[in-house]
Amino acid sequence: MEIVVCVKPVPEGETRLRASADGASLDPEAVKFVLAGYDESAVEQALLLKESLPGSKVHAVSLGPAPRTEEVLRAAIALGCDAATWVDSGPAASPDPIDVARALAAALAPLPHDLVLLGKQAGDDEEGLVPAALAEFLGVPDVGHVVDLRWDAGRSRFTFRRAVEAGQETWEAPAPLVVALQQAWNDPRTAKLPAILKSRKVPIARVPPVALVPGVGRSQSVRFELPPPRSGARLVDFQTPEQAAEKLVKLLREEAKVFP
Amino acid sequence: MPDFSLSPEQESLRDLARKFARTEMAPHAAECDRTARFPEEIYRKAFELGLMNLNVPTEYGGSGLGVLDQCLIVEELAYACGGMTTSIIANCLALEPILLGGTPEQKERFLKPFCADYQFASFALTEPSGGSDAGALRTRARREGDHYVLDGEKCFITNAPHASLYTVFATVDPALRHKGVTAFVVPRTTEGVTPGKDEEKMGHRASSTGTVRFDGARVPAANRLGGEGDGFSLAMRTLDQTRTPIGSLATGIAQAALDHAAAYALKRHSFGKPIAEHQAIQIKLANMAQSIHAARLLTWHAAWKIDRGERGTLESSIAKCFASDAALHVADEALQTFGGYGYMKEYPVEKLLRDAKLTQIYEGANEIQRSVIARELLRSYE
Amino acid sequence: MTERVLVVGELLTDRLSGSTVEAIGAGARLAGGASSVVGFLAGATARSRAPEFGRYGVTEVAILEDPACEGAPVAALVTAVVAAATELGTETILLAGTSFGRDLAGRLAARWGATAATGVTEITRVGSTLELRRPVFGGRATETRRIEGGRAVLALRPHAFPSATEAPCETRLRPIVAPAVPELLRAAHRTGLEASPGGAGPGLAEAAVVVSGGRGLRAPENFRLVEELAAALGAAVGASRAVTDAGWRPSSLQVGQTGKAVSPQLYIAVGISGAIQHLVGMMSSRVIVAINSDASAPIFKVADYGVVGDLFQILPALTNEVRRVRGQ
Repeated sequence: MEIVVCVKPVPEGETRLRASADGASLDPEAVKFVLAGYDESAVEQALLLKESLPGSKVHAVSLGPAPRTEEVLRAAIALGCDAATWVDSGPAASPDPIDVARALAAALAPLPHDLVLLGKQAGDDEEGLVPAALAEFLGVPDVGHVVDLRWDAGRSRFTFRRAVEAGQETWEAPAPLVVALQQAWNDPRTAKLPAILKSRKVPIARVPPVALVPGVGRSQSVRFELPPPRSGARLVDFQTPEQAAEKLVKLLREEAKVFP
Repeated sequence: MPDFSLSPEQESLRDLARKFARTEMAPHAAECDRTARFPEEIYRKAFELGLMNLNVPTEYGGSGLGVLDQCLIVEELAYACGGMTTSIIANCLALEPILLGGTPEQKERFLKPFCADYQFASFALTEPSGGSDAGALRTRARREGDHYVLDGEKCFITNAPHASLYTVFATVDPALRHKGVTAFVVPRTTEGVTPGKDEEKMGHRASSTGTVRFDGARVPAANRLGGEGDGFSLAMRTLDQTRTPIGSLATGIAQAALDHAAAYALKRHSFGKPIAEHQAIQIKLANMAQSIHAARLLTWHAAWKIDRGERGTLESSIAKCFASDAALHVADEALQTFGGYGYMKEYPVEKLLRDAKLTQIYEGANEIQRSVIARELLRSYE
Repeated sequence: MTERVLVVGELLTDRLSGSTVEAIGAGARLAGGASSVVGFLAGATARSRAPEFGRYGVTEVAILEDPACEGAPVAALVTAVVAAATELGTETILLAGTSFGRDLAGRLAARWGATAATGVTEITRVGSTLELRRPVFGGRATETRRIEGGRAVLALRPHAFPSATEAPCETRLRPIVAPAVPELLRAAHRTGLEASPGGAGPGLAEAAVVVSGGRGLRAPENFRLVEELAAALGAAVGASRAVTDAGWRPSSLQVGQTGKAVSPQLYIAVGISGAIQHLVGMMSSRVIVAINSDASAPIFKVADYGVVGDLFQILPALTNEVRRVRGQ
């Protein structure tokens, strides 16, 4: 099976966030970008499928600026992806998400793809628009909120579950398919040291820069703001549990006005 | 011009170590310290990720890293737990004599099967009657045909109770002093090899330390590293390679101490403001930061020299000695910053102080480092 | 002419989803009145349920009576929504930001030649320019995006906008004839549905109140204390990763970076220390209450109200008090 997994460099979970000098976007200086969260799960899912289906290949694709994009692709290779394509976005700070999907589709279309895997959203902008838009541009179906994706070889179908508000749905679909994964239901592996060293030597295909310029009908980030630091919880003081309950309910009703 | 930037490859090695340290080691550091537990499950994961036999070339199944790469990894690991780090990197020390003094046949025979599986090796030099005076070894190696018979006892041996392989330094003739010291690779399964029990230690309690006794242990002559009398030089050249990462281990402990102290100083209030705004505390933090910065750069510099093929005895001794003194001092100041809380086991800094202490003692006590530094120094004036 | 706004409705088993009603409210303000909002509904019951839009002053609803829209990929739905938007000449489509809307938004925008945004909490229009605010980094920052002219598909964050005010009116139905959807895009389909345990309560992502439990509950059987409080409040139940990892409760209840992101009006964290991985999933809740025995737990830094104490005593007392006040 030919599997493509799309990944995105995002700031490491505990990175301190700061606005750029013009206040329009995140200041990437001093931010450590990593392959994180949903993408780690997507890569893990791709590798699990590859391992269960001999002869499969996993191709990692990422769109973004240097050097972080190349670095997450190397991380994906170190985890076990066979090849990588870097779509160089140039230094665009916050490209339009639909444009990103269009550029990814252009890069991905020539690659064989029975399955395209993505995290359902990135941990930074949390848009979650790229998977379905990418599927539309590729002309293939997509399903989101997926967990536990398997290939039923006998029936040539993917079977999987979707975790949605109402509960767990079971689905099936033939290839080709775009799948947006819900969460880290799998326990993503850690790259081993020899694989990390080896990943440095794998060539990464670089797709020439695509124009991701804002204009009419494009969205663009114009402000990036951090909330004022929370002052910390107001603690309810009490002598008995009953008193704590009474005071808290009163605060929620009368002061915060959120008591249902 | 010196270049202090790390390569992307080095950055990714450091990331791997950092992630492992923070997700696998740190959550268990306090518990292993309290109960003196040897966390095999963590060590096994470290092995599986390639963090254990860092210095062994890849052709023998190791990670094939230079000293600077090792330093980057060791500092990250030690940030989470000095004791676990000691046990994780002990194989590097134990296997280095084979790398430096072994024949291709010996490397093939010992390193390949060893590195293929999760297991420990121990460097057995120190004896109950003396550590630093390596010329005065009492463990005897008597030649009998194509074997040597070993008798004696080694002590304070890291991972000894868990090791499957020992690199043992024994003398073929005590009267020869340094010139009698000879190195052997001794599998634990050899009859007459008896590891002792775990010692109860002040710090590095997740690590294991013990004695090994040799009672008429028959070791094939084919297991001798180099010739008779080559052992002393081999031990010294080994320590030249492994001393610098100990400086990084100390730096990692110190960095953890500073991070705890600074975070605490920002949130702890006295006299109406965070104690970080009191000059007395600021001076402490500034001095701690200076020591750490200097320690790190000294280890990087020593490692860089060694990776260039130089012996680096002076630089690595300076790095190890300075960094370990700095670690003890920084941990002490961190504890002082915490005040009474720092003295409580519930808080993490007293462990750092106990862990830092060992870095001044093992892999060549700092007194020896200073005498080496002075010797190297004075030589340049002669 | 006033710009009309299309609101794509999400049907729950018995009503329009609360997030749809919020989208109607947001659309009414954006378009200068509910009469400039056009509803859209798809599915077998689209015709019979369309009048629910009329409760909020929406006078026209485009409907696609295609039962195949349910349990199929959104591709079929997208075709119909685009047909409706084209017929109506609207430039803006609003969606509920639940998984329904989020699944739809990307493909819809790509098909319609629009841009899109999800998790939107504020919309302002200046001339032909839309400015959107949306939390990013799990609520650790807020981003303002600008769309200068052109088509936009916006999925709104649940609870960010007030519900539309009730203003019952007659609704006109506009049946949509959607072009056939290629077989390929219909190939994926649902084969089964297993309702969440606790499926009786509101869904996590949409709930106005969420009560979450963590490791501080010590044992799986104690988790009922959280469920009882949630039941008394009519709240959804959530859990920290420690709880779902330990298998006390299914992972579908996990709130956090690797679970669900929630932004209810009220979030009550019980026995949760507040690891960053949990915080990013709930920090944009309007009011946060933390109940924990450890006063130094990081959760108290992000909470608005805190109770430091033994949750095994506090929780039953709180559940009783809630029942008393709500007259249960």
